[in-house]
Amino acid sequence: MQNFYKWGFETFFGSVFNTIITLLSLIILFFFINSILGFISTSEWKVVEVNRRLLLIGRMPPEHEYRVWPILWVASYLIMASIKTWGSPSYKDLLFIALGITIVCVIFTTSSTYLWVLTSLLICIFSYVITSFIGKSTTANNKNKKILILLWILLLPIIFTILLIGDGPKPTLWGGFLLNIILACIAIGFGFPLGILFAIGRASTLPAIKIVCTIYIETIRGAPLVAWLLLAWFVLPKFLPQFWGINEVSVVVRAMIILSAFTSAYTAEVIRGGLQSIPKGQIEAADSLNLGYANKMILIVLPQAIRVVIPALISTFIGVFKDTSLVFILALTDLLQVGRIIPEQDPEFFGRQLEALCVVAFLFWIISISLSNLSKKVEKSLGIGIR
Amino acid sequence: MQKKEKKQIGKEIITTSEVTKSFGRFQALKGITAKVYEQEVVVVLGPSGSGKSTFIRTLNRLEPHDSGTIIVDGVELNDDVKNLQYVRSNVGMVFQQFNLFPHLSVLRNITVGPQKVRGLKRGDAEDIAMELLNRVGIPEQASKFPSQLSGGQQQRLAIARALAMQPKIMLFDEPTSALDPEMIKEVLEVMTELAESGMTMICVTHEMGFAKEVADRFLFFDEGLIVEEGTPEHFFTNPQEERTKLFLSQIL
Ligand SMILES: Nc1ncnc2c1ncn2[C@@H]1O[C@H](COP(=O)(O)OP(=O)(O)OP(=O)(O)O)[C@@H](O)[C@H]1O
Ligand SMILES: [Mg+2]
Repeated sequence: MQNFYKWGFETFFGSVFNTIITLLSLIILFFFINSILGFISTSEWKVVEVNRRLLLIGRMPPEHEYRVWPILWVASYLIMASIKTWGSPSYKDLLFIALGITIVCVIFTTSSTYLWVLTSLLICIFSYVITSFIGKSTTANNKNKKILILLWILLLPIIFTILLIGDGPKPTLWGGFLLNIILACIAIGFGFPLGILFAIGRASTLPAIKIVCTIYIETIRGAPLVAWLLLAWFVLPKFLPQFWGINEVSVVVRAMIILSAFTSAYTAEVIRGGLQSIPKGQIEAADSLNLGYANKMILIVLPQAIRVVIPALISTFIGVFKDTSLVFILALTDLLQVGRIIPEQDPEFFGRQLEALCVVAFLFWIISISLSNLSKKVEKSLGIGIR
Repeated sequence: MQKKEKKQIGKEIITTSEVTKSFGRFQALKGITAKVYEQEVVVVLGPSGSGKSTFIRTLNRLEPHDSGTIIVDGVELNDDVKNLQYVRSNVGMVFQQFNLFPHLSVLRNITVGPQKVRGLKRGDAEDIAMELLNRVGIPEQASKFPSQLSGGQQQRLAIARALAMQPKIMLFDEPTSALDPEMIKEVLEVMTELAESGMTMICVTHEMGFAKEVADRFLFFDEGLIVEEGTPEHFFTNPQEERTKLFLSQIL
């Protein structure tokens, strides 16, 4: 114990310089903790409580709210089943997932929605249990994998059907976190395959294809996303057919097009890096087997190229997900925009920006950290067989 | 020496005449004229940089040649894609660096060709793959990945992969040069068995013991030309050219 005090004293106050550093740190720490404590003790979370619906689904009319729940259920099933099938989660992972879900539920359940939320919790558990059961048989597991992949591909069409079927709300009324998620899914869902094509095109030996792809990629990457969105706001309508006859509708479509194009350009460059890392011998081996161009790319080159760049790919996706909040430029109310305006709408909530933004940040963080964990898992599970 | 009897009965399966190939200013092949007969085993010798690899790589057009003609199994190699596909599906190749597909299991490395090119069902392709793994002596490795195999096992897998396409001709480019000495033998045994089964083979190799035993004919390359050709006996007892003598004295 004596030693400990001595060590402590020497480390922190051993010299004049150390003493100054220590005192400075203490002062900064004090102000930091003080302001956090101050925020916590004076914070008023009513602004969030009252505006939960706005944060999650924006200005979507209340009578259409029921459309969101089936989407949540399908997503819950898919996510849990996929985590179990491919993630081989440890207890720590499960604890983390449960904690995340609990916090989100606590923040966002109200007396009128708790039944729906409960259903989706049950679906999560059901999905996990049934997938564990299926996982015991290899053939069933393989079949299940195929079904899950198909469901993932169908997820976006399913979401759009649920949102639009019958007399659904106009897409411009989609908002809040739902809008961010939809836009990110579209951007990645279209941008990723397109990016693969552009990457292959840029690596092509045919000059025409190579030049077109290079120009596309460099043009899109050459300007900030904000600039492209502004362009979409002012210029794109002149070129775009007017879906459903209403110009307003196409604002969301415009955002989707721009975000997909943007994602595809960045993804293409990431994948091109992977393509360059494939040894020439792989291509020669595929050629000597007469595999043909398509098989060579799909079976030999791309799987290896993509595997190499998974970390960079996922961080591109995380970036895209956060970039979706820039659609406020198109007068859409995404999560961040909701968080920004709700404290201004009611005099009661003036000055409650921090609370609102905290929740916004938390929601973005939850998705980003999950994607980042996903990246680690995927890398690990692809580890076998790597040279 | 049963293979001595069956030789020379085959007809021409590869005919090259005046084949040239340049890399930029450097001419790697300066006019190669050669013939290979069915069931023949031809060993290609020569100093480093003499164009051995370049030559056998022109035979399945991994390197397109600049001028001259190459006719494989009656089909001329040129820009015609049909011809190219015909030749490639009838010519197997084994590389010095194995070039296995690291992301595919051992079994899948073999089945991918038959399934995608020959259009076999998965089950049939796997049956063939297991047969071939037995033939090259590594049936117990089927579910592993290439990186989990030893060098010798990897090269035997590469041979099995090429054989799964049922080629008429096999090309080997220094198949044992990347291997530790103790693994060379197991690969050469597989190649010897293949030669005895009547496969037409062209091998670039420095394994003179193997060459002496299985080769019907040697081609000696130097500076992009075939300087001398003949039977192994001819080479070992009575080489004509100075360069051949020098080369043989260095490697024997
Ligand atoms: N892709 C290429 N680009 C440029 N030069 C090349 C290329 N491939 C081969 N060469 C050159 O052509 C010549 C013949 O090469 P090749 O690989 O055929 O020789 P080799 O007889 O197989 O030699 P080794 O015994 O070292 O394998 C060498 O001088 C080499 O530098
Ligand atoms: Mg060579």
